[in-house]
Amino acid sequence: MPFVEIEGKQIEVDEDGFMVDPAQWWPGWAHYVAKQEGIPELTERHWHVIEFLKDYYAKTGIAPMIRKLCKESGIPLKEMYELFPTGPAKGACKCAGLPKPTGCV
Amino acid sequence: MDLIIGQVLPYLAVVVFIGGVTWRIWRWMIPRIVHNIALSPFPGSWSAAIVWMLWQLATFWNLLKFDRSLWLGAWFMHIPLFLMLGGHITAFYTLGLQFHLAAPGIITPKLSLNMSDWIGTVLGIIFLLALVYLLGRRLVNEQTRAISSASDYVHLLLLIAIAVLGNLMRLFPEYHLGYAPVREYLAGLFLFNPQPLPEHAIFITKYTLVMVLMIIFPFSKLMHSFGFFWERWIVNRPFAEPARGLPGARLQLRK
Amino acid sequence: MSEVTGLRQPKRASVDLFRKLGVEPVPDNEKVQMAIRHIDEFRFKVRSFVMAMESCVKCGACAENCHTYLGTRDPNNIPAGRVDLIRKAYKRYFTVQGQLFPGLVGAQDLDLETIEKWYSYFYQCSECRRCAHVCPFGLDTAEVTMIGRQILFWLGIGPQLHTATAGAILRTGNHMGLTKAGIIDTLEFLAEEIEEDYEGLKVEFPVDKPDSDILYIPSSADFMLNANTLKGAAMFFKYVGANWTISSEITEAGNFGYLMDQNRIQREMVTRLMEQATKLGAKKIVWGECGHGWRAAKMYVSTVSDLPASRRIPITHIHDEIEAYIKAGLLELDPKRNDRKVTLHDPCNYARACGHADNMRVIMNAVVPKGAFVEMKPNREANFCCGGGSGILFDDPDMYQFRIQASNKKAEQVRETEADTLCAPCSICKAQLYPMVKEHKLPVEVVGLVDLVGHALVFRD
Repeated sequence: MPFVEIEGKQIEVDEDGFMVDPAQWWPGWAHYVAKQEGIPELTERHWHVIEFLKDYYAKTGIAPMIRKLCKESGIPLKEMYELFPTGPAKGACKCAGLPKPTGCV
Repeated sequence: MDLIIGQVLPYLAVVVFIGGVTWRIWRWMIPRIVHNIALSPFPGSWSAAIVWMLWQLATFWNLLKFDRSLWLGAWFMHIPLFLMLGGHITAFYTLGLQFHLAAPGIITPKLSLNMSDWIGTVLGIIFLLALVYLLGRRLVNEQTRAISSASDYVHLLLLIAIAVLGNLMRLFPEYHLGYAPVREYLAGLFLFNPQPLPEHAIFITKYTLVMVLMIIFPFSKLMHSFGFFWERWIVNRPFAEPARGLPGARLQLRK
Repeated sequence: MSEVTGLRQPKRASVDLFRKLGVEPVPDNEKVQMAIRHIDEFRFKVRSFVMAMESCVKCGACAENCHTYLGTRDPNNIPAGRVDLIRKAYKRYFTVQGQLFPGLVGAQDLDLETIEKWYSYFYQCSECRRCAHVCPFGLDTAEVTMIGRQILFWLGIGPQLHTATAGAILRTGNHMGLTKAGIIDTLEFLAEEIEEDYEGLKVEFPVDKPDSDILYIPSSADFMLNANTLKGAAMFFKYVGANWTISSEITEAGNFGYLMDQNRIQREMVTRLMEQATKLGAKKIVWGECGHGWRAAKMYVSTVSDLPASRRIPITHIHDEIEAYIKAGLLELDPKRNDRKVTLHDPCNYARACGHADNMRVIMNAVVPKGAFVEMKPNREANFCCGGGSGILFDDPDMYQFRIQASNKKAEQVRETEADTLCAPCSICKAQLYPMVKEHKLPVEVVGLVDLVGHALVFRD
């Protein structure tokens, strides 16, 4: 699998550029992905989503259902798409170091 | 020429045709129908499946429903072809009296001959027109042209040549050849008692082309005439649905 | 477009990923020989493949009946033309005429370039089998696509999406990589939602419950995208008082193995299914909304598992059961709750492979008000694919563009109905139609069928 170098660290990513090992996550990764995703700056709202995803993933091993993410983070779906233009399942999860969803998505 | 075309080639053609078709079908029978890949709605029984296959066969139903312009050429080519094949066999065997022999009280021998002439002529013309239409379609229709190879045209041209020669003999009295000389010759072949080929250039040419067709048949897409049954045997078959109802549920379906 | 081959190809899975699935990719200089060997073996194994190779007359009836061809106008996407990508080699190596007169009969040596075309075109085909439905002989070109994909898989060529999904299957038994903790948490969330939305209705979602009579197999996508389908199923089971459960080991109605590796991955799913059903004591397996997976279950499990009839556990679809309960008059449904103009997309595998055209309509007519259900045309067995069939739900820009093109016909069909709701009871259809609806600017909401059932059920006690 390919590697990318960010802030001097070698990070293994999959074919779609998602982090392979979530344990390697640090804020620098989120900044790196945000730039790729066309997000000019990670605001407090972004970090709120990213932290929620990371916590949820640590607890359950999966990404939350989008409805749950919106409801429990208190950020409505519309705003979610403004924050992460490629959507919570792709853009936000990528920033948070979660694997890319597979299957029928 | 009489020896090769008249006495050797016919046996060769028959052996290659029957042997080749058998060989091809035998090879189709080696691989299995691995999973049930029937197309739904599933027929309720094997007899329903067979009725459906025959319906498809008689009407070219799928083409009628999904590609009307192709149906026009295909149906009016194949159906006259089958009828004429039957016509050739019975007319040569009975010397044109097949209708009389089938319904002696109703159809006189003379009427039978006339019917044989007329039906044969009309079918022959329809057959030729349909073939030309199919050739034109293959050339004009962009999609069909894209997937055609040379042999697809060769088959059509061969059939067109056979149809043209047949129609020449039907339509022009000077080219006509009666049933009797041909029957005499064919009987010789069947009884292994060689009789000379009728001396008739058009007949000999057409006859040769038919034998060529028989020889290439097993090595070409013409095998689709058998393939139809083998494929439909796979995709048109009954399926037994498991019973409905949820075991252990509070609400139960009435049995 | 792939920069290397100039062909429209989905993003490839890496060598590492293939190795995780137990496949050592074949080096380029051996690929052609290996592919020929595989074809040679298949022609002695699978009759439907041989018939597709040997019985096509190139009439072209399939062309205008294939949504992929209609969307791309690429001759290699004409079903007969797509099959030719293998057929030309088949003729060259395994037929008398192809060995003697290759030019005349259109036979060709196999080369790497053609194998690259396989990868391009067998992953543009959605295995919807509309071509088989319209073919005068019933030739099933999806069988060729499946074998083409299988050979590619063995060579070590496959899309990232399918291959990564296969990896998730081996890890977790589902496509999304759902863990047991994630499954339970999501289901608790759905139970809360039902309680809020339906006046305190308490519905349980049992997971891995021993001694369950019914094992329900939901699509894993229902845990991410189609929650209402999952809720509808639970509400139905609650209504009829079923003793049911979901297994965390096989939380997947789909079977991506069936789509690309019927040899290993498809079997993995079937093995898991049988083990779990036995372990949980299930007397019946009920399938959730997933088209290809339902075909893989209904039509393939008995032959893939190869279990004797005495050991087989009956498998039905939740639509079958709901239909039977509706017909028996055992469900009280209030169609007014679904007061919307709705059209039904017949998922290919339901309509053409599993005989579901009727049951979906029985259900639909029971859950929406009279006159609210409008048919799209053509429908039932003749329906067109959504464009995402067989999991070609790629998101790399070029392939995404292709998906939208391949759904041109579907968009046209939906638009003509003037419906505001598009019912598509299959996870792949849903995943394809959510973006399709957006890109084609269709003013419709995409829903499942069980969603509408759950919403219409009237609970009295």
